[in-house]
Amino acid sequence: MLFLQYLTAGVVTGCFLILATIGFSLTRQVEGFLNIAHAELLGIGAFATWWLNASQGWHILIAGPAAVVFTALIGLGIARTIYDPIRSRGPAVLLITSTGVAFVIGGVIDALVGTGIRTLDIGLATSYKPFGIRITDYQILVVALAAAVSVSLALFLNRTRIGLAIRARAVNPELAASRGVDVATTSRVTWLLSSGLAGLAGVMLAVIATLTTDLPFAQILQILAVAILAGLGSLYTVIASGLIIGIAMDVSVYWIPAGYRPLVAFSIVIIVLLFRSEGLAGRRAA
Amino acid sequence: MNWPQLLITVATIGSIFGVVTLALNLQYARGGMINFGIVAYFAVGAYTYAIITQPPPKGLDQYAFGLDWPWWAGFLLAGIAALGFAALTGWPTLRLRGEYLALTTFAFAEVFHSFLLNERRIGNGTVGLSNVHRPFGDWGPIEEKYVFAGAAALLLIVTLAAFRQLLASPYGRALDAIRDDEVAAQSSGKPSADMRRQVFLISAVPVGLAGAVYAMFTTLAQPSLFTAEVTFVVWIALVLGGERSVYGAMLGAFGLVFFEEVVRALPFETVRSAQIAASVEHIITGVLFIAVLRYQPFDRIQRKVRAST
Repeated sequence: MLFLQYLTAGVVTGCFLILATIGFSLTRQVEGFLNIAHAELLGIGAFATWWLNASQGWHILIAGPAAVVFTALIGLGIARTIYDPIRSRGPAVLLITSTGVAFVIGGVIDALVGTGIRTLDIGLATSYKPFGIRITDYQILVVALAAAVSVSLALFLNRTRIGLAIRARAVNPELAASRGVDVATTSRVTWLLSSGLAGLAGVMLAVIATLTTDLPFAQILQILAVAILAGLGSLYTVIASGLIIGIAMDVSVYWIPAGYRPLVAFSIVIIVLLFRSEGLAGRRAA
Repeated sequence: MNWPQLLITVATIGSIFGVVTLALNLQYARGGMINFGIVAYFAVGAYTYAIITQPPPKGLDQYAFGLDWPWWAGFLLAGIAALGFAALTGWPTLRLRGEYLALTTFAFAEVFHSFLLNERRIGNGTVGLSNVHRPFGDWGPIEEKYVFAGAAALLLIVTLAAFRQLLASPYGRALDAIRDDEVAAQSSGKPSADMRRQVFLISAVPVGLAGAVYAMFTTLAQPSLFTAEVTFVVWIALVLGGERSVYGAMLGAFGLVFFEEVVRALPFETVRSAQIAASVEHIITGVLFIAVLRYQPFDRIQRKVRAST
C-alpha cells in the first residue's frame, strides 16, 4: 500500500515535470537550443502569482492566468531582445547566454522577493482517500492540467495552421522558410507558448510547493533530466519521460533515502544516454 | 575596506579559479567540448586531498577513511583522482557532442554532488570535512596568507606553461586542425576522437590540483562549496575573457573573483541590503555574460592587435 502511495506521488511529480518540460522542449525543437533560463520563467510565474494573490488580494483564479500571461510576455521579450540577435552564433553560445539570463532573472527575483518561505492566500489542500491512497485536490489539479495541456498542445500542433507551421520549422527551418512559412510569427508564437507553459508550471509550483526564491533554479535539474531523456522527440516522449522520471524518483524513496532523488533521475538519464545517445526518441529522421 | 587583505584573497582564489578556467579553455576552445560539470572534477580534487590528509575518523565523524598522509601525497593524488574521474565520466560521455555533452557532464556533476550530500561515509554528508590540513605555515617573516597566494599563483603559472607547451607542439596544432575542420583532420590521419579524450583527461589534472589547493585554503570540503554555481562562474570567467585566448581566460577569472570579493567586502547596515547586494551581484554577472557573448569585445581587441602587428 505504501508502495502505491509513492507511485501516486510519482505520477503527480511526473505530471508537474511534464508541465515544466513541455515548454522547454518546444523551444529546444523550434529554436534549436537549450534555454537554461526556462526554470527562472517558472519562478516569474510562481512569484507573480504570489504577489498578485497574497499582496494584491486577487483571487487565485484571476492571479494564476494573469501570471501566465505576464510570464509569456516576459519570455517573448527576452527572446526578441537577447536571443534573436545572436541566433547565428549557434546553439552553444545561446545555451551559455541563457545561463546569463537565468542569473539575471534569478537575481531580480531575489532582490524583489527576498528570502524566506512565501505562501499563497488559498485554502489548505483537501485530502481524498480513494482505495486507501491519499491524494489532495491540488495534486489532482496538477494531473488534470498536465493532461489538458498535453492534449490541447497536441491538437494545436497537429490541427491548426500555425501549429503545423511551427512543426515544419522545427524539422527543417530552411525548407519551411522557402515554402512560405512565416519564420518571425512562428518564432513569436513558440516563445509565447513555451514561456506561457513555464508560467503555468510556475503557478502550479506556487500552489503545491513551499515557495522560496531558490526553488526555480532547483527545477532546471529535473527539467533537464526529463528533456535529455526525451531527446529530440515529439511531445509524447516528453510525456513518457516526465512520468518515468517522476515515478522513478518518488518510488525510489521506498528503498533508498529521499536525498537520492536527483541521483536517481540523473542515473536514468546517464544510462539511457549510454545506450541511445539521442534520448528515448532516438535519432530524428532526416 | 581592507584592501591588502582583499587583494591577497583575490590573488589566491583568482589563481585557483584561473587554473580551472584554463582547463575549461583547453577543453572548449581547443577540444570543442562543452563541459558543464567542471565543478565535479574540482570537488574530486578537494575531497581526495581532504580524505588523504585527514586523521582517521573519531567521535562524531561519519566518514570512513582518513589516511593521515602528508600534504604532498594528498595533493598529487588529488590530480590523479581527477584524472581517474575524467576517465570514468569521459568514457560514456565523449561520444556525445555539443549540447548533449554539456548536459551529460552537467548530469554527472549533479549525481556526484548528490552522492557527496547523501553518502556520509565519504565526507560526512552535508556537514562536510572541516579542518582540512594546511601545509604551509608562516615562512619566516612571510605570513601564511602570502605563502598561500604564492603557491596558488605558482600552480597557475605551471599550468599555463604546461598548456602553452602542449599547444605549441605538433600535438597542439593537430588539435587546432581537428577543431577547425574535423573531417579534413581525420582524413589526414589525426585520430580526432582519441585526441579529444586525451585533452579531456589532461585538462582534468590541474582542475583536481586546484581543488586540493581550494580545500587547503578554505580548510573545508563541503558539498555546498561545489554546486553548479561554480561551473557557471568558471564559464562566465571564460566567456568574459574571450574564450579563444588563454590570457583572456585568466584575466576573466581574476576580474570576476575581484568583483565578487569587493561586493562581499562591502559593509552593509542591514541583512536586507546585503541580500539585495548579493542579488545585484548576480544580475551584473548575468548582464556581463550576455553582453560579452553578444558584442565579443575581447575577440575584437585581439583581432585588432593581430592586424596591426
